[in-house]
Amino acid sequence: MPRLPLGDWTDSAVTYLRDHFGPLFDVISAVVSGMYDGLDAVLQAPAPLLLAGILAVLALWLRGLTAGVLAFAGLAVVVSVQQWDEAMDTLSLVLVATVITIVLAVPLGIWSARNRTVSAALRPVLDFMQTMPAFVYLIPGIFFFGVGQVPGIIATIVFSLPPGVRMTELGIRQVDEELVEAAEAFGTAPRSTLLRVQLPLALPTIMAGVNQVIMLALSMVVISGMVGGGGLGASVFTAISQVDIGLGFEAGLSVVILAMYLDRVTGALGTRVSPLGRRAMAAAASPRGTRLWKYRPQTSVAVVGIVALALTAGGMGVLGGGDEKAAVPEADDVGKGRQVDIGYIPWDEGIASTYLWKELLERRGYEPKVTQYDVGALYTGMSAGRVDFETDSWLPVTHRSYWEKYKNELDDYGSWYGPTSLELTVPSYVKGIDSLADLKGKGKQFGGRIIGIEPGAGMMKMLNDTVLKKYGLEGEYQVTTGSTASMLAQLDRSMKAKEPVVVTLWSPHWAYSEHSLKKLKDPLGAWGKGDGIHTLARNGFAGDEPKVAKWLRDFRLSEKELTGLEGAVHKAGQGHEQDGVRDWLDAHPGLTDRLAPVG
Amino acid sequence: MYRLQAEHLYKVFGADPEDGVRRLEAGAGRDELRESGTTAAVIDASFDVREGEIFVVMGLSGSGKSTLLRTLNGLNPPTAGRVLFDGRDLTALSPRELRRVRSHGISMVFQHFALFPHRSVLQNAAYGLEVQGVGRREREERATRALELTGLSGWGDSWPDELSGGMQQRVGLARALATDADVLLMDESFSALDPLIRRDMQDQLLELQRSLKKTIVFITHDLNEAMRLGDRVAVMRDGRIVQIGTPEDILLRPADDYVSSFVHDVDRSRVLTAGTVMEPPRRPDAGDCRCETVAPRTPLADVLQVSARVPHPVAVRDQAGEVVGVIAKERLLAALGDHDGPVTPCTGDTAHAAPPAAAPGVPAQPRKEAASA
Repeated sequence: MPRLPLGDWTDSAVTYLRDHFGPLFDVISAVVSGMYDGLDAVLQAPAPLLLAGILAVLALWLRGLTAGVLAFAGLAVVVSVQQWDEAMDTLSLVLVATVITIVLAVPLGIWSARNRTVSAALRPVLDFMQTMPAFVYLIPGIFFFGVGQVPGIIATIVFSLPPGVRMTELGIRQVDEELVEAAEAFGTAPRSTLLRVQLPLALPTIMAGVNQVIMLALSMVVISGMVGGGGLGASVFTAISQVDIGLGFEAGLSVVILAMYLDRVTGALGTRVSPLGRRAMAAAASPRGTRLWKYRPQTSVAVVGIVALALTAGGMGVLGGGDEKAAVPEADDVGKGRQVDIGYIPWDEGIASTYLWKELLERRGYEPKVTQYDVGALYTGMSAGRVDFETDSWLPVTHRSYWEKYKNELDDYGSWYGPTSLELTVPSYVKGIDSLADLKGKGKQFGGRIIGIEPGAGMMKMLNDTVLKKYGLEGEYQVTTGSTASMLAQLDRSMKAKEPVVVTLWSPHWAYSEHSLKKLKDPLGAWGKGDGIHTLARNGFAGDEPKVAKWLRDFRLSEKELTGLEGAVHKAGQGHEQDGVRDWLDAHPGLTDRLAPVG
Repeated sequence: MYRLQAEHLYKVFGADPEDGVRRLEAGAGRDELRESGTTAAVIDASFDVREGEIFVVMGLSGSGKSTLLRTLNGLNPPTAGRVLFDGRDLTALSPRELRRVRSHGISMVFQHFALFPHRSVLQNAAYGLEVQGVGRREREERATRALELTGLSGWGDSWPDELSGGMQQRVGLARALATDADVLLMDESFSALDPLIRRDMQDQLLELQRSLKKTIVFITHDLNEAMRLGDRVAVMRDGRIVQIGTPEDILLRPADDYVSSFVHDVDRSRVLTAGTVMEPPRRPDAGDCRCETVAPRTPLADVLQVSARVPHPVAVRDQAGEVVGVIAKERLLAALGDHDGPVTPCTGDTAHAAPPAAAPGVPAQPRKEAASA
């Protein structure tokens, strides 16, 4: 069977599209991100509890008192676990994706309901869209649209379009043929038949489709969080990367609350907009059923309530907007409010150094924006010029494959910390195994497994290609793939049970201070020399911001400084990284001027 | 004057309908076509519908009658043949012109009512006018009038599913009447109703027809309904029209065994009228007494009651009061029993045989006369 170069074709097709249709993608990107930013600004403006009130009144109007109270309670929980801003980001993302999806899906569904050829041609395409794992098109999406919300929204649209199209088609096909015939028999033109008969009768099914679209969009937020989509997805992604079970639950619960709210509200909206649903509702509202918990305000009352709350919220937004940031002294204001995009992967030294630079740049009058990414997305985004710099590239070894691929689009600003080391590690209670060479013949003891991390990590490639070979461990050990989080969870579990386990780990890592561990020696030097942690920037960033580039090139931290900084950030806790940085900088006067000299 | 004329209509479904028509014209049967995957729904149907008449097309399910009906307003364009509406060939019209004919000239009433569930009764009745582009005020007035005609005053604000079957079909009828189209196509319109309601609706249609004088093509599988409603009846079998005639024609002179087996179950007392079975008065003084008489259009069911009360043959008077015929009891029995000819004398046990003098033989009346009476 000859090898079909399908992958190569796809690769060149993507490159071709990027090179020749760049402006088109830029327009799409601008439109989508414009919609997102606009909506997000509206949702972020009011005080959280006020907006929760507005949303609760909406639920009250659509479904009654119980729903209104529950909605408010649920949203208040989101506020109280400090996920509100993220939740509103996610809501904006979901709503924008849903609106675009519906605008595309309904006409497509109508078309395929009226034309069997279209329906037959569309079906495999829809299957493809729905079942193709999102990551497969998410990364190319970054080529076209850059990192941030847009590829997330596009991926969400691709994923949630199929049920929208299918339900529309089904709804229209389900309309009794005799009714369509009756319309024709009275001389109705085809388009008019669609508007007068088919669409109104298909509306409940179409609304069920819209509901599905929203639910699927919500299920995509975590994935879009990995490419810088922000919102609750980013919270969840952060939490699972750092094995932060508490944060994971809080963010996950917020997704659930948002999902239930949207599901119930759109479900009720479905009955509101369809003539048949309105009828059924009128019939259900029999005179005896006026119990308090079934109370639903009149539309006018609800509108007045929402407007009143919105006005209050708007007023507070305007009043509260001014005092967000302390003014930067004139002398230090190098940045003049220019924006700098910093990307990071959620490794501890990455988080610490990124927030250090965020704080430093703010003190110098810049408006830095930090976004968390999956490692592939980060490099792709930087090479496409959407991210200005990042501070956590382990070179020349760990991230070599990314560097090789993108080195033409990136500048290396040098190492700010090093050397690091990669290693296989066992708990210190595992006796008699101190070096990689000792592993030979002990496969049974470890179940023949080495607990690995993400399959894309440079370290995994080295382990499989070089380290195992050099020590003759091939065949005896299988390297399991998973994630850093799952590796750490497995380590934790095995140590609790005092079981022997061997994991892939690297220094510096907080696990060494948390657990009593033993790094296996590497007498043959199979892991190579230790990496330095490098700062990488997009081509041209040095030209745009020479000052920042110089600061970054001169950036150095000692081991004591880095562990101190990581400790401070860790102590401040999730969501307050920058406060930790501030405390640490305050405890080290003069460091700001050393790292980012104004003169 | 003919409102609708069908000329050699064919409707064939399948991969190559035209080829199907050619083979049918060459004498191939419906079953032969079916073997090659082609279905002939209507085969060589020709008929004329006169102004103001109810023309019933009767046949069992699968006989092609509903398909035939849909060729008449172009919902289902014929594979071959022409449909003339007031002399205009519908098959040659553009889709837009055809839609105009449907909205202004030919209305339709459906078997399962086909009311729009998302519209109120009034909005349903006004649907055709809405398509015509009539303004809201006028169309609601006209729809209200149509609802009054069908006995639904005051139901305009209800919803179709709140109405009984019979009432729903009245809405369907009102919707068809509201457009002022004077040709009505009715597709098994009363078949989904239970027998009592069906009878009611038939009566109401006949009464409406007396004042409105629409031209109606009515499809049914129910022969009694066909006989009751039809001025003329076309009987369809396997896609072909096997006989067209007045109900009496069909009943008294079935064209073939199929039709005669079909009419076997018909309630003859309701289809046959005094005029068709009466004989010329044999005595000049017939009808001089003050006994009850009947009119030529009186159904035999009613003649029977009169006959039971009158000691001699029932006299038949026309509108001018002239006696145009008489019906003896024996004649009545023979007509109802579909017996044609003299009574067979009994053989053997003479003790029970009626004396010949007491049984005045019913003279065999030539059928042609009966038909012309």
